[in-house]
Amino acid sequence: MSTDTPHEVRPAAESAAGRAPRNTNTTGHLPGRKDGPRRKGMSERNRPLWMLIPGGVLMIIIIVVPLLLGIYMSTLNLDQYTLRKWVSAPFIGLDNFVEAVTNSPLLHAVWLSVSYSLLAMVVTLPLGIAAAVATQNAFKGRAVIRSIFLIPYVLPSFVVATVWRTMLQPGGIVDEALGTVGIHVGLWLNGPQTFWTLVLVQIWASWPFIYLLALSGLQSVDHEVHEASALDGALWWNKLRYVVFPYLKGPLALAFLIGMLHHINNFTLPYVLFGVPAPADVEVLPILTYVTSFQSFRFGLSAAMAFISLVLIAIPLFVYLRAVKLDDAETPGAKK
Amino acid sequence: MSTTTASRQGAATFNVDRPGSHRQHEVLRLLPGPLLIFILVFLGALVLIPVLYIFLASVNSDIGVANGEFWPSSVTFENYSKIWTSVGLATGLTNSVLVAGSTAVVSAALSISTAFVLVRYTFRGRLTILRGLLALQSVPGTLMVLPVFVLFSSASTYLGIQVIGTQWGLFVTYLTFAMPFSTWVMVTYLRGLPKELEEAARIDGASNLGVLFRIVLPLSWPGIVVSGIFAFLLGWNDVLFASVMTRPESQTAAVALQIFGASQEGGAIPYYGQMMAAALVCAAPVVILYLIFQRYLVGGLTAGGVK
Repeated sequence: MSTDTPHEVRPAAESAAGRAPRNTNTTGHLPGRKDGPRRKGMSERNRPLWMLIPGGVLMIIIIVVPLLLGIYMSTLNLDQYTLRKWVSAPFIGLDNFVEAVTNSPLLHAVWLSVSYSLLAMVVTLPLGIAAAVATQNAFKGRAVIRSIFLIPYVLPSFVVATVWRTMLQPGGIVDEALGTVGIHVGLWLNGPQTFWTLVLVQIWASWPFIYLLALSGLQSVDHEVHEASALDGALWWNKLRYVVFPYLKGPLALAFLIGMLHHINNFTLPYVLFGVPAPADVEVLPILTYVTSFQSFRFGLSAAMAFISLVLIAIPLFVYLRAVKLDDAETPGAKK
Repeated sequence: MSTTTASRQGAATFNVDRPGSHRQHEVLRLLPGPLLIFILVFLGALVLIPVLYIFLASVNSDIGVANGEFWPSSVTFENYSKIWTSVGLATGLTNSVLVAGSTAVVSAALSISTAFVLVRYTFRGRLTILRGLLALQSVPGTLMVLPVFVLFSSASTYLGIQVIGTQWGLFVTYLTFAMPFSTWVMVTYLRGLPKELEEAARIDGASNLGVLFRIVLPLSWPGIVVSGIFAFLLGWNDVLFASVMTRPESQTAAVALQIFGASQEGGAIPYYGQMMAAALVCAAPVVILYLIFQRYLVGGLTAGGVK
């Protein structure tokens, strides 16, 4: 990559002139890029691109190579006997994919993952918005409240899961508390209700994330807008609905995407909450992939499942990448 | 939005109010008082009751927790002395601090130099790298754990380097997975720094490295702290890779707690008190870090997440 170690010194003006002619042909066709002369006082020869090497090498060895390896492994008949010499494991083409789709709980897992992520998101959105709106105006003790609201987000997932696992034990504190008001739910950590347990705990853990992003959206509301609606004598509900909420659209759309990605990728919470093998109703994609690898030792099948879940993730990820401006120096937080 | 311009004149009269005055407060007000209080109390209780419960259960007897007591009938602090050996928290915490700490330092150092190049220089493929940084943040760990495991075991088979079961394997893995987000945080941070200082330094004859170390680095401590802490948290919170790639002596605290919890199934009453005490001890460093650096972290998080 780098041929010259850039210790030579060049006056800024000269180098700016030196690179002016080529400022459109780099990646000018991509959106978000601003063309036209930039005042970057660097010459082309004097770019320390070698600084990208350590991070680049790491990412290639630990992310890109394993990613390709995983795709290759999904075409092999790989189990605990062939894993040691995986290079010479029998090649079986798309059989793993066929088995994953037709003869494994994969589709069920996809359904569980998507529905659980959506359900959790649908509840966390209003919670997060309410929290952000409630802490937007200054009052005594607001700083403390804001810190408290962040606690569930701050706690490590494995701690959250361990604690809820204890609280939801049969006869534990949750059963006891609900029992005093006459509600008897039954088993939380086993059987068909586990799905709702997972949704509930996920909601508890992730609403502060929505809160944070909603808060950043609220901070962009101009002071004049408040004054305008006060002059108009707008009722609080109308003011929220028509004046304030439009400001939140961008951050919340992003929060929705990132949150969905987090939920779908969340391995730790169901893993620690229910243990493996997990009850069938919480066998979400990450758990299924993990169990297929490290409990059933069907490594090839697991790699195929992982690949399919990558495709699933690529959908929100693609929307996210399109939405994010890569080069916005002028309009922070803007999302168009 | 058209109201904004329409009300300029009205706005001018309102601006006479001092900030913080009663009138001003009324203008900014978003919710009626009772609803505001309801939301605060509801969400506060939602958060604080379980958090309080962790502490109360950690000083309770196992039978008390199993019977669903909120307030312990007998208080004991024994759990806190037992967990170091029974849960293996002494080894676990040492390993966690070692692995997550070195991940934080190295990742912060790498991400500032990477971000410096990405922000201050133009070159072919720059936008691809930026986009890649965002995309890699979302690659699921479950997708990577098997191939990474196979890769590392191949390293011992073919190269004779033992990676699986050592802290090195975890360190390299966490470092790599922390890099995309840490770098992105630094990119958004460095964008906010004025270029003029760097240009002045260049005119004075500073090299690229000189600019990075003398100008950018001293100005970037908030960004460095944020990207370091996020890398630390990634290592501290991970269960997936640690559960596959460690042996008992290289276990992190997360895995130690998870295994302890899972091994309590069936038979006698589980050691709930110790579980909660260990959970609290594992959470404490993270919570303290957040409280100290809260302002930076919240900014860094929304920067990394939103932009």
